[in-house]
Amino acid sequence: MSGMHLSKEFFELLKAIGESKSKQEEDRIIQREIATLKKKMDGSSSKGGLGGKLPTIGHGGGGGGGGSGSHNALNQNRKKAKEFLVRLLYVEMLGHDGSFGYIKAVELAASSSIIHKRTGYLLCSCCLAPEHEFRFMLVNQMQRDLASSSILEICSSLIAVTNLITSDMVPAMASHVEKLMNHGSEIVRKKAVIAYHRMYQLDEHTVDRKDLIDVLRKVLCDRDPSVMGSSLNVIESLATVDPAPFKDLVASLISILKQVIEHRLPSDFEYHRVPAPWIQMKIVRILAVVGKNDANASNGMYEILGECMRKADVGINAGYAVIYECVRTITSIYPNPTLLDAAADAISRFITSQSQNLKYFGVTGLAAIVESHPQYATAHQMSVIECLEDRDETLQRRTLDLLYKMTNPVNVQFITEKLLGFLRNTTDEFLKEDLTNKVCTLAERYAPNNLWYVETITDLFEMSGDFVQQEVAQNLMTLIAEGSGDEEEDENGEEADIILRQHAVTIYANLLEKQIAKLPRLLLETMAWVLGEYAYLSEEFTLEEILNKLCDLVKVGKQLAPSTRKIIVSAIMKLVAQAGQCPPQAAKVIDDFSKAKDVDLQQRCLEFQNLITTAPHMLGEILPVDASCEDVQVDPNLNFLDLYVRQAAANGAKEYNKPDDDDDDDEDYYNNYNSSKKKPSAFKMTPYEKPTKPGTFSSASMGGMGSGSKNTFGTGGGGGMSGVTPPPGAYGGN
Amino acid sequence: MISFILMVNKQGQTRCSKYYQWLPMEERVALESEIIRKCLSRSELQCSFLEYRGYKTIYRRYASLFFIIGTKPDIDAAQVGGENKENELGLLEFIHNLVETMDKWAGSICELDIMYQLEEVHFILDEMVMNGYIVETCKGATLKAIDLLERESRKGEAMFK
Repeated sequence: MSGMHLSKEFFELLKAIGESKSKQEEDRIIQREIATLKKKMDGSSSKGGLGGKLPTIGHGGGGGGGGSGSHNALNQNRKKAKEFLVRLLYVEMLGHDGSFGYIKAVELAASSSIIHKRTGYLLCSCCLAPEHEFRFMLVNQMQRDLASSSILEICSSLIAVTNLITSDMVPAMASHVEKLMNHGSEIVRKKAVIAYHRMYQLDEHTVDRKDLIDVLRKVLCDRDPSVMGSSLNVIESLATVDPAPFKDLVASLISILKQVIEHRLPSDFEYHRVPAPWIQMKIVRILAVVGKNDANASNGMYEILGECMRKADVGINAGYAVIYECVRTITSIYPNPTLLDAAADAISRFITSQSQNLKYFGVTGLAAIVESHPQYATAHQMSVIECLEDRDETLQRRTLDLLYKMTNPVNVQFITEKLLGFLRNTTDEFLKEDLTNKVCTLAERYAPNNLWYVETITDLFEMSGDFVQQEVAQNLMTLIAEGSGDEEEDENGEEADIILRQHAVTIYANLLEKQIAKLPRLLLETMAWVLGEYAYLSEEFTLEEILNKLCDLVKVGKQLAPSTRKIIVSAIMKLVAQAGQCPPQAAKVIDDFSKAKDVDLQQRCLEFQNLITTAPHMLGEILPVDASCEDVQVDPNLNFLDLYVRQAAANGAKEYNKPDDDDDDDEDYYNNYNSSKKKPSAFKMTPYEKPTKPGTFSSASMGGMGSGSKNTFGTGGGGGMSGVTPPPGAYGGN
Repeated sequence: MISFILMVNKQGQTRCSKYYQWLPMEERVALESEIIRKCLSRSELQCSFLEYRGYKTIYRRYASLFFIIGTKPDIDAAQVGGENKENELGLLEFIHNLVETMDKWAGSICELDIMYQLEEVHFILDEMVMNGYIVETCKGATLKAIDLLERESRKGEAMFK
């Protein structure tokens, strides 16, 4: 059993964890362990039992010579320290806080024994949060290890650097890591590339992109395949952001790929007869990014891609993975008919396979190809429907993705229905958001008619209103308001608009019957606005009915957002204007809200009450029917008040005197202020005199003892006693 | 990029966890328990991939232990709105490669080996994956580095016996 090297305590701990039957039991075990570990830590500071300190030889373990005795004890301590850290790792892995022990990890990282150093670094990497100050304590240690002569120490440090550095630490470490990319050992070079890239990710100023790319070119041609493989990751990452600098690497990449698939790498790189599948996949992915939209670059790739696909067809997963990667690349680069056919063929085999994993790939591959070449989709419609109804949720989701990409004006209704169906049944927030966006896009792009659009968007609002963007609501309202556009002002166009609005009103009025408080904010606002504007068109509901419903709504919703309440109240006001008289329920609502805390709402209600009482005939003009698209005419000169002004002037009111230009006054004010209060500045503006050099000490005012006399050391044997007058009688007779 | 690698058993106890994108403790615990629950609820006949909270996840079961890899779009690519390009089947096979490597190292790996030598398992992972990228798939190269480490540590102890 491999537990021989563990202490009894640790062994017991693991046994207990392994046999625990419930989370609570496990928690109890860990709490006990935490207490034990804390005691060990406190014990260590007084007895030196844990840290790397040397115990006093006299009391230490007896046997042998004093020398070996102390080293044994030292090893014992280090072993204990390492075990302490591993136990701490367990504590944290199982979800408990072990921060009391972090400092031991930092200490152990300074150990000279490599495995202890590595353990210390490991714990720090796993447990220290990015903002934790201990990360800074390790910078010095990591630098020292990077410059070490031991390969293992360098490697430990490189791994630690990748895990632990933050952007402020990059300037201190960048040059060390850069040097290591020319190190003699491939184990080091392989890691240095990744560490250097990590620094670039954190701080693009210290690690220049151009330098990084130059380095990558060299590393790509490294004699060790692992190092080359390591660099591929970084190349792919950078090329995804900007493929331009890598276009000239295409030839090298193709040549490397060729060597790999011809089994020219060391046999150790073969995985179940497929040569270095992950390296193949990475290269093929890079080719996809670099060849996209670039006919020239793509041209060189066709041959190798075809060969790669053929050679990878050995009937095992690793081979299929490579084939799939080739399919993805073929669909992204500049199209080539032969390759596309080969890709479609592979997809067919995947999608009709018995293995669920391969079906998954079939669906994903089809989604990739169908965007640019829809003709390949028709052959697989049956399989796609099957996948959609499969009980495997993952497969269903992938198929939804495929359907989204396959949408055209013919099948948009069917597909949207399926998407909405899924949206209704899911609780996964990420999926909801994704589907919502998809439905919005599809509806806007392919809506067969306005009515369908309104219904679909309303459904969407109901199910996931929080995820819908504000603009969608805006578009919807615009659509209803403006109808199908101004081109046809003829009878048909107008009628269609009216029908649309009637329909919208019916839908929304019906919705009001449902659980109104639960409807999302955007939906409520849209509904209220539409009802306010167009309720008069409705043949199913009377104005009063809708008015009452709105009043109910606004009373129920304590949770309504302020904006929602305002819109509903405005709608109520519009309806009152249209109805010609104000039913008591509406009057009460407006009265209530005229005392609302929200000032805007108050204002609207008070103005409305004023209007009703003083000038009810103006209501029609102020809240006109179906005029939401017309601009409000504003007369900035307020000409309509001219009559009033003239009358007032005739009655003796004073003319308005524009105040004089204030600027002069201001200047005077400041001048007075300055002159009367001008004081010499508290700052001394003239520079100090240059300090005189202190002459020999004798002339300076160095007092020393009994400083009255000067020049004593010139006399007699006083020698080098500078500046200090010796006490009388110091030199014997002097 | 690989965001995390987990080894969790059927009862939901984590045997090894490695994160390449920092997550605070509570989130880790929640993630681990939820993901294993999802994996357990899937049958053998369903595919080995699932989507969880924006992570494209690949899992594979060996006896009572689940190996789970969660991936997210590459950090650099995410800045330009790139999607997650990870090859799920490739990662599935990478899990197998990892298990084969550990098998060779331990001479037939089992859950207990992982428990008793947790730090060594981490060291093996460190050789193969860095910053969420796969850097080594060649078993020989990985084990050579681990062997070097073990020999060096034995030297340190043996010198003073």
